[in-house]
Amino acid sequence: MLLRLLAAALLAAAVPEMARAADAARGADLAAHRCVNCHGDNGRSQVPGVPSLAGQPADFITVQMILLREGIRHAPAMNPFAQGLPDRDIEDLAAFFASLPPGPPDDRTPKDEALFAAGQALTGPRHCATCHVADYGGRAQIPRVAAQREDYLVQAMIGYRDGTRAGVDTQMNSAVIGLSNAHIAALAHFLAHLD
Amino acid sequence: MVRTSLLAAGFLAALATFPALAQAPAPAPVPGWAVGRPEGSTLAPHAPRLTVTPPDQVPVGALRLPPGFQAEIYAHGIPGARMMAEGPNGTIFAGSRAIGRVYAVRRNADGTTRTSIVAQGLAQPNGLVMVGNSLFVIAVNRVLRYDNIEANLDNIPAPVELTAAFGLPTEQEHAGNHHWKFASLGPDGRIYTNVGVNCNVCETDRDKFALLVSFNPDGSDRRIEARGVRNSVGMAHHPVTRELWATNNGRDWAGNDWPNDTLHRIRRSGEDHGFPYCSAGSADPQFNAGRACSEFVQPAALLGPHTAALGMRFYTGTMFPEQYRNQIFIARRGSWNRERLSGFDVAVAHLDAQGNVTRVEEFMTGLRDDANQRFLGRPVDVQVARDGALLVADEQMGAIYRITYRQ
Ligand code: HEC
Ligand code: HEC
Repeated sequence: MLLRLLAAALLAAAVPEMARAADAARGADLAAHRCVNCHGDNGRSQVPGVPSLAGQPADFITVQMILLREGIRHAPAMNPFAQGLPDRDIEDLAAFFASLPPGPPDDRTPKDEALFAAGQALTGPRHCATCHVADYGGRAQIPRVAAQREDYLVQAMIGYRDGTRAGVDTQMNSAVIGLSNAHIAALAHFLAHLD
Repeated sequence: MVRTSLLAAGFLAALATFPALAQAPAPAPVPGWAVGRPEGSTLAPHAPRLTVTPPDQVPVGALRLPPGFQAEIYAHGIPGARMMAEGPNGTIFAGSRAIGRVYAVRRNADGTTRTSIVAQGLAQPNGLVMVGNSLFVIAVNRVLRYDNIEANLDNIPAPVELTAAFGLPTEQEHAGNHHWKFASLGPDGRIYTNVGVNCNVCETDRDKFALLVSFNPDGSDRRIEARGVRNSVGMAHHPVTRELWATNNGRDWAGNDWPNDTLHRIRRSGEDHGFPYCSAGSADPQFNAGRACSEFVQPAALLGPHTAALGMRFYTGTMFPEQYRNQIFIARRGSWNRERLSGFDVAVAHLDAQGNVTRVEEFMTGLRDDANQRFLGRPVDVQVARDGALLVADEQMGAIYRITYRQ
């Protein structure tokens, strides 16, 4: 009886919220010294091959940092900055970057309507928007891809397709299976030009 | 900047090579996992948790059990902990998928436990099995043997590499589908494991995928134990009849309620259980190919649609009441391919003296919150500890629960 009551009370209290709220201000301090020179002061990367982190869901950043720390995701330019980071730092960094408003890089290429349309047409059969959400802003562990750097989007999708990038699960690897480089280029152009 | 303009030039070149692309993109094949997915489905994968969950957030208090059973936290702070194996000295090993680690859980003199990492950076080291004093770790297309492991937990020596000897299909051959492993030791001293299907549902090489297979521990003498089993991530031999039993994950995108995940009884090596032609005893709507489902071995029990029935063990202890002896405990992790959540619990399949399943009932519940359609944890494996307690690994919480019985 007691156990039952206790269980009911706990269930009502609902668990998944974190007891220790991640600390975005602490995350900002950590990021200032270690991250923003590559990922951008405002979280929008101006460096080819480096992704923007502004407005990414905190879960996505956390999960990717763990994969980078553990060496499951191979990215020689990035792995050293994740190495040895405690979970707490990762959660605070994630809260910081998640809190920044997203936006395109300053050097975004001009929009090519035909290429944009070609990319958009590829998304339907592959259900990209189902997971990444209609505005491609992402949710939980699924990243924001709208207005991400085009060069980075190309390299990310090629990584999944060629099996050189592993995620928490294999859905992304299968989502791009069989795409040619031209398909990927079109998809990247489409996503990079969403606002 | 240079790189960007090179890339832009690449786009143009690509367009020139595929002039049709600007108008109508060439149809690319549908991803394997999405075969049969209905238009308009909004289902998306659940988020994992790969950071440490503080013990006061592990939802042990929410667990509901039959009268007389209690649950406590046995181990915590082991993100992504999945399939378990117990060493001869009582160390519990736990594998994982995304985080790539193998953990060891040791008991302190005062009954508390301490955890450590045996291996890391592996691709989905989900298959663990003890053979004598050696721990076998089966990752994706990788088989490692850690000899005399319990004596070396504080200084793990390099493992013996058996990958080539086992020759399991690669991640590429699986096209990224169902390539992680479960492993179990048979009463014949062989290692039993699964080779999942290389898609959601498809015509496939039925001698290569959707199998249960066994090997000598050195990787030699591969034998097909069962064919047409889509993806089994749980198996064990009956302690009395010595027959192999296995859980199986049914295909996706054929509806919320079809097919059920299934429990399989393998009476003879090499039997055909029907996938992709039939699932859960009835014809596949797209891949039946005119086959009668009566040609195939029928499932021993239905385990619910999209429950993701994974780790299973026969209860061989004496702590639990007599009615649980030699019955099957099954962890049901719950999947994302159903509009309403199902599973997220531990069930028991009750067997009669002939080894027929008489009923399947819930045993450990409380992690699935139906009203709000969310979950508090995801049970992935069960293990009968030497003292008769039942250990349950919760992957989402990175914790192991210990379930005991007191009159
Ligand atoms: C020297 C430059 C550099 C520094 C410093 C750096 N990163 Fe990165 N980061 C990269 C690159 C390059 C990638 C892309 C890796 C790849 O190719 O997949 C990346 C990727 C990431 C990703 C994955 C994002 C995605 O969209 O997949 C995250 C998260 C991340 N970095 C966070 C951080 C954090 C937090 C810090 C500071 C602790 C940091 N980075 C410091 C260069 C850097
Ligand atoms: C079943 C859900 C699902 C579908 C469908 C899906 N994605 Fe993803 N996507 C994810 C997840 C989850 C991740 C993060 C995976 C990881 O852990 O690496 C991701 C990552 C990505 C990334 C990497 C972004 C970054 O910052 O590193 C890109 C680009 C991407 N997806 C584009 C697409 C496109 C284009 C499509 C359609 C062709 C698509 N996705 C379909 C779930 C999905």
